[in-house]
Amino acid sequence: MIEGAKWRRWVYFYIPLGAFIVWLLFPFYWMLVTSVRPDRELYRPWMAPNYAPFWTAHPTLVHVVDLLTETLFARWMLNTLFIAIVSTIISLFCGLLAGYALARLKFPFGGSLGTGIFITYLVPQTLLFIPLADIIRNFQLGDTPWALVLTYPTFLIPFCTWLLMGYFKAIPRELEECARIDGATRWKAMLYIIFPIAVPGILSAGIFAFTLSWNEFIYALVFLSSAEQKTVAVGVTSELVRGDVFYWGQLMAGALLGSIPVAFIYSFFVEYYVAGLTGSVKG
Amino acid sequence: MARIHRRKFLKLSGAGAVAAKTGGMAAILATGRAPAYAQGATVHWLRWNDFVPSSDALLRNQIVAQCAKDLGITLSIEMINGNDIQARTTAAIQSGSGPDVICALNNWPQLYADSLVDVSDIADKIGKDQGGFYEESTVVANNGKKWLGVPWCIVGTENSYRKSWFEAVGYNKFPETWDEYRDAGKKLKAKGQPIGQALGHSFGDPPTFWYPFLWSFGGMEVEKDGKKVVLDSKATVESVKYAVAFWKDCCDEGGLAWDDSSNNRAFLAGTISSTLNGASIYLLSKREPDKYQTEKGTPLYLDILHGVLPKGSAGQFSYQLPHTNMLMGYSKQQDAAKKFLAWIHSKPVYQEWFDSQAGYSVGATTVWEQDPIWSKDPVMAPFRTVGRGAHFPGYTGPADRNAAEVLSKYIIIDMYAKAVQGTAAEDAVKWATGEVQKIHA
Amino acid sequence: MAISEAVNQRAFARAPRRGAATLLLEDERWLAAALLLPTVILLGLFIAYPFVEGVLLSVSNARVGIPGHFVGLANFTALLSDSIFRVAVWNTFVYTAVATVLKLALGLWLALLLNRHFRGKAFTRAFILLPFIIPTVLSTFAWKWMFDPTFSVINWTLFQFGLIHGRINWLGNPDLALISVIIVNVWRGVPFFAISLLAGLQTINPELQEAAAIDGAKPWQRFWHVTWPLLLPVTMVVMLFSIIQTFADFQLVYVLTGGGPANATQLFATYAYQVGVGTGLLSEGAAISLAMFPFLLIIVVVQLLYIRRVEVH
Repeated sequence: MIEGAKWRRWVYFYIPLGAFIVWLLFPFYWMLVTSVRPDRELYRPWMAPNYAPFWTAHPTLVHVVDLLTETLFARWMLNTLFIAIVSTIISLFCGLLAGYALARLKFPFGGSLGTGIFITYLVPQTLLFIPLADIIRNFQLGDTPWALVLTYPTFLIPFCTWLLMGYFKAIPRELEECARIDGATRWKAMLYIIFPIAVPGILSAGIFAFTLSWNEFIYALVFLSSAEQKTVAVGVTSELVRGDVFYWGQLMAGALLGSIPVAFIYSFFVEYYVAGLTGSVKG
Repeated sequence: MARIHRRKFLKLSGAGAVAAKTGGMAAILATGRAPAYAQGATVHWLRWNDFVPSSDALLRNQIVAQCAKDLGITLSIEMINGNDIQARTTAAIQSGSGPDVICALNNWPQLYADSLVDVSDIADKIGKDQGGFYEESTVVANNGKKWLGVPWCIVGTENSYRKSWFEAVGYNKFPETWDEYRDAGKKLKAKGQPIGQALGHSFGDPPTFWYPFLWSFGGMEVEKDGKKVVLDSKATVESVKYAVAFWKDCCDEGGLAWDDSSNNRAFLAGTISSTLNGASIYLLSKREPDKYQTEKGTPLYLDILHGVLPKGSAGQFSYQLPHTNMLMGYSKQQDAAKKFLAWIHSKPVYQEWFDSQAGYSVGATTVWEQDPIWSKDPVMAPFRTVGRGAHFPGYTGPADRNAAEVLSKYIIIDMYAKAVQGTAAEDAVKWATGEVQKIHA
Repeated sequence: MAISEAVNQRAFARAPRRGAATLLLEDERWLAAALLLPTVILLGLFIAYPFVEGVLLSVSNARVGIPGHFVGLANFTALLSDSIFRVAVWNTFVYTAVATVLKLALGLWLALLLNRHFRGKAFTRAFILLPFIIPTVLSTFAWKWMFDPTFSVINWTLFQFGLIHGRINWLGNPDLALISVIIVNVWRGVPFFAISLLAGLQTINPELQEAAAIDGAKPWQRFWHVTWPLLLPVTMVVMLFSIIQTFADFQLVYVLTGGGPANATQLFATYAYQVGVGTGLLSEGAAISLAMFPFLLIIVVVQLLYIRRVEVH
């Protein structure tokens, strides 16, 4: 809490936070205005006297309706959701177990294995997608969501593992040792003592993993081909950027509809992990 | 590596279809799909999503239905952003599975030559039936020995310009030489109506303007043999110097940041007076006359005309955007795909698509110059003959792999961009020459 | 080795003698093997093979559809004299360094702000994540529109406030283009830094702060001596991953500038893509991609050593 006069609260808190919010969210406001702006107002240069960037006198829902009826947007949302959820679960599962092992257990080659997992993250996607296409074909996964569900964890697991390692290391060893003295097995101590404490870490790793799978582009572009299988990012760009003409209204409506619902879902999680946490760790 | 060798072997042994029938399970696994006879003929065609939405609707609905009726082939059409086709093609070739037919832009058939099926029989027949292919379509789709693909169309590029604005500075028709164009541009820019030209990294507008610009001054990358690099010439330096002056005098300097869509937007917004582009600006404003209007409130399309790129000391040049249908070597549906190609390129079927384009694309063969469509709208008439005398990057050398590399590294474009940003013309040319030499080494 | 152990382990775990399995899991080594198994399988399958293939590509002269043959390090030596490559390397370093420093500073600041109690806290915390949630391609389109020389709302705003008199050519001026790209990257990355660091802040016991406050430490001292050391492990990991991602960034530049004007925003990944996919020179593209590796490795090793040192304390 900030002590002292009211102006200090403004200077040290409200103004900076406000500035952050404006900066981070303005592009979304811009998308909103663009998606309800009628086309005839769209192409106005910024020097024009009737340039009205922050509002429109004639808001229209025609772009949103177009997006939902003329394209398979709803379908793309479902696809993306499915792919993101499943690959997040896989990555969290792997990352949680591996992270705990690397942070807490002593075993031969532990350090180098940790580094090895990390190194895989260094391999650039632009190099990987071509050989990966080969594997996808061998497993006959092309044009199915599984192509992405199985490849996304390759860049999600290293991060989840390492982030969770960090959290595990911050949890005092004594907690576990107390439980073990009380007769719990290692496995149980991990499951019932350590993992619950690491919930904020798990959530932030989960948010990270979900988000990255939500907005991945190049694998989704290369591994999926039919329009019904596409994800939001690929579907929207391939339907709404036509030659040298962009369908700005629909494009921005797609961008908004493809991200705001996720933020709403996150708002529950964020609430949960903040509330569930305060004071649960005794240092 | 071993895997690639095996695939190569499969290909040599008579393409995947044969392998799938004779090679048993292993071959089926290697090719990643059930054998052809188990599936019924489905041809998967990948193309860019067209500027003209009604063309895509036509393909997806009528053409697909008609294809099933006429040929018994299930046609599955996938449309993606033109920028992303190469990523898909590369992954498809390397993994040996993907679309059966890919509609390529530019000279991509030359890049993927070893992975394509010889379609000379089809292309020769189409060419013969339809008055022969344009030179540009030929150089990108034919490697001198065989047809790597069947030329599909050419997206014409011309200058879209504002009739009334040019008239106001004394040009009742579009300037014919660079000097005239520069003079007009100077006057227009002084009135806040500059010429708009993209000079950034984007595959359409920057190359289609700056390559012909270079040629029209007599500059070229290589000699006819495609080996000796001759970019560092007096003509090139002169063209670069001219470009710098032209840019400063006439152009909207935002162009350095532009991609293919920016000049459309700027033109529709009424901030530029002329730009080299496809007919998309005109067609879009004509499609929706109440949305796109001039500063006086009249429909914008009534004030748009098209004109060819101006002449330089070496003549008048153009580079149009050619499209070619490639039949992929890994395809398990070679026969069906060939049947499909012969069918879709045949005059009556192609006619439907051609009509839906309303002139945005011209045919790859000369017969389409005679089509009644060109008498429908005089503003579109200049596009009728864009296929004639168009050249591809690499000119006067062949449109080969090296030409494609120079193009996709934007070396020629960046030569001009560097000069415009203040590098001395000679240095910019030297830099570009060095890069071109390395590619041709 | 871990794999063979793990396979045995699984056999045991499935056996009816649960006592034995539990006993075995008490052994740190067996437990570790069991826990690492899924990760090793997935990464081995989907990274190891493609990676080896990528390395092989880089030492061959393969092109799309043509396997090529071994050429040693020719592709790498060719890069040394490649002027565009040098520009890309320099740009990538500037891009990564500037963007990371900004993301860390702003992200930490934002995390500290969000760690307070205020109305609408959960909502704010979730919604500032939006830049990170939205697919990069789509948000970059929006930025492109905002930077567009003809339509820039940023220019309009600056103009209205009287800060500029002509337009700013955001993506057209070579220096500004790189700055613009960095701005978008920072915009995308700050929420992630903020939320990860916030989660780190949450695990710090408030009693420590209170104790320090009772001892008379000023807010700044409390941050520096109490909060920051505890936050450091998480910070380092987040930074590590951010650096790697930024270093290999592709999408943003690909959409915003395509590497232009005149390669002013060309990065490693975009150049690798241009060469490998754009021209079909897979081997050279792979070599450019792999050339990132030593640079990244140095950065990573330095950071990992630092993390170890921090943890020892």
